[in-house]
Amino acid sequence: MSGARLVFDLAGAVAIVFAGIMVVHRNPIKSLLAVVVSFFAIAVGFVMLSAPFLGAIQVIVYAGAILVLFLFVTMLLNLDTESASSDRRPFQRGLALLGIVVFAAILLSAVRRSGSIVGPSGEPPATGEIEPLARALFSQAALPFEAVSILLLASLTGAYLLMRREPPAKTGSAENRP
Amino acid sequence: MTAIDWVIVVLRPLVPVVGALLLVPMLTWAERRGAGLMQDRPGPNRVGFFGWSAFGLGQALADALKFFFKEDITPDNADAFLYTLAPWIVMFSALVGFSVIPYGSTLPIAGRSIPLIGADIPIGALFIFAMAGLSVYGIVLAGWSSNNKYSLMGGFRSAAQVISYELAMTTAGAGVFLSAGSLRLTEVVASQEASILRWNAFPQFFGFLVFTISAFAETNRVPFDLAEADAELVGGYHTEYSAFKFGAFFMAEYVAMTVASGFIVTMYFGGWSLPFFHPQGLLGGLVSMAVFAAKTGFFLLTFIWVRWTLPRFRYDQLMRLGWKVLLPLAFANLLWTAILVRTGIL
Repeated sequence: MSGARLVFDLAGAVAIVFAGIMVVHRNPIKSLLAVVVSFFAIAVGFVMLSAPFLGAIQVIVYAGAILVLFLFVTMLLNLDTESASSDRRPFQRGLALLGIVVFAAILLSAVRRSGSIVGPSGEPPATGEIEPLARALFSQAALPFEAVSILLLASLTGAYLLMRREPPAKTGSAENRP
Repeated sequence: MTAIDWVIVVLRPLVPVVGALLLVPMLTWAERRGAGLMQDRPGPNRVGFFGWSAFGLGQALADALKFFFKEDITPDNADAFLYTLAPWIVMFSALVGFSVIPYGSTLPIAGRSIPLIGADIPIGALFIFAMAGLSVYGIVLAGWSSNNKYSLMGGFRSAAQVISYELAMTTAGAGVFLSAGSLRLTEVVASQEASILRWNAFPQFFGFLVFTISAFAETNRVPFDLAEADAELVGGYHTEYSAFKFGAFFMAEYVAMTVASGFIVTMYFGGWSLPFFHPQGLLGGLVSMAVFAAKTGFFLLTFIWVRWTLPRFRYDQLMRLGWKVLLPLAFANLLWTAILVRTGIL
């Protein structure tokens, strides 16, 4: 087993273990931190697959921005540790188990059909990785790319509209709040 | 690989990282002397060595020792694990950035030509952005785990601030990558070597401005130190910290400043290169390191200079500046650079 393969497998194991911790941990903040570690491991996986650009973007966008926002909101909501775990929901648990089995079956059949499991190629990181990606994004995939952008913009505007309150009477304190 | 090759591989990233750490006491001293200079008072000028005052340099060592001997307190209701982890996240994210910044050309030693950079990875610039972005976890977690409302407020402010300014910073940086045609920092330096007019600070002046201002915000330095705002939040995210854990936050601030200065120099001021002077061989390697150190030193002094010149922003002013001024300016700079590259001027 080569060193690259070892690192790749280790990163995969860490990603799965911490994803599991995310699900079972009672403290929402710790759950979020488990996601951060899991995303990091996925980024390492990208690097080992000779795609360092995707790995860096994974860290910058997901770990560095989106999850910070999640953390921000979770802390603001101040979720109570006890109340989050009191509700057992047996019915949903059964459904979740079913979901896991079905998903695992789909994943397994996909892996079997493709004939091989993706692993590190052992090639040096591609230097010209960013350019082909950019070309594909702005030519072949330009339409879906723009469509997703518009969708995001629409949901952003919608969220703003839903959250908008009547302008407060001149107290001046509302806009200073983070 | 022989043993010597392994030593070189280990030393290459270690030299700038250890250098940045050793610089911290010097910087704290320079900061206080600078403050003294600007406020028309002497600053620390007594603590020296063996009767020689050494311009008060001994004060820096005394302060470092103090961190070791103070009582290390963890508040009763703090989350002990995260409380201990937080300062080291900040420290780590500050330190690793230096391992991808080229701090010189090449050094020919023992028949080998050693590139003076920790690791010349193809996404060097993104690596620094990614690692710098992580420091916010340390700050937010420090604020949350302290179980103190002032700490929490500091953490919140930091999260909002870093997300806002990271956007402007990366957009401004994109202009540099456009003109260099690469994210590899050695190639960014190489693209600026030809003449002083190719230093990105000149054709992309507004990009440089946005990038530098955002770097101040990313390192939580005045005028963007709302996360610790001592007049409002006691000490912000590190209110509850003492002894070496506080020391780690304190050192991380200066290390982050050094990395930010080195990054600005590499992106906008030609890195280690001098446009009219190209010595070769051993001398060339040493001169390039000295040039990088001098340029970085200039920006470190700028960080100190700004701190004792400007007052702190108010929160709404901070947000307005980030989203309504810096981000549009960064996009305008990107467009301008695209035009320059397309017309073949750059």
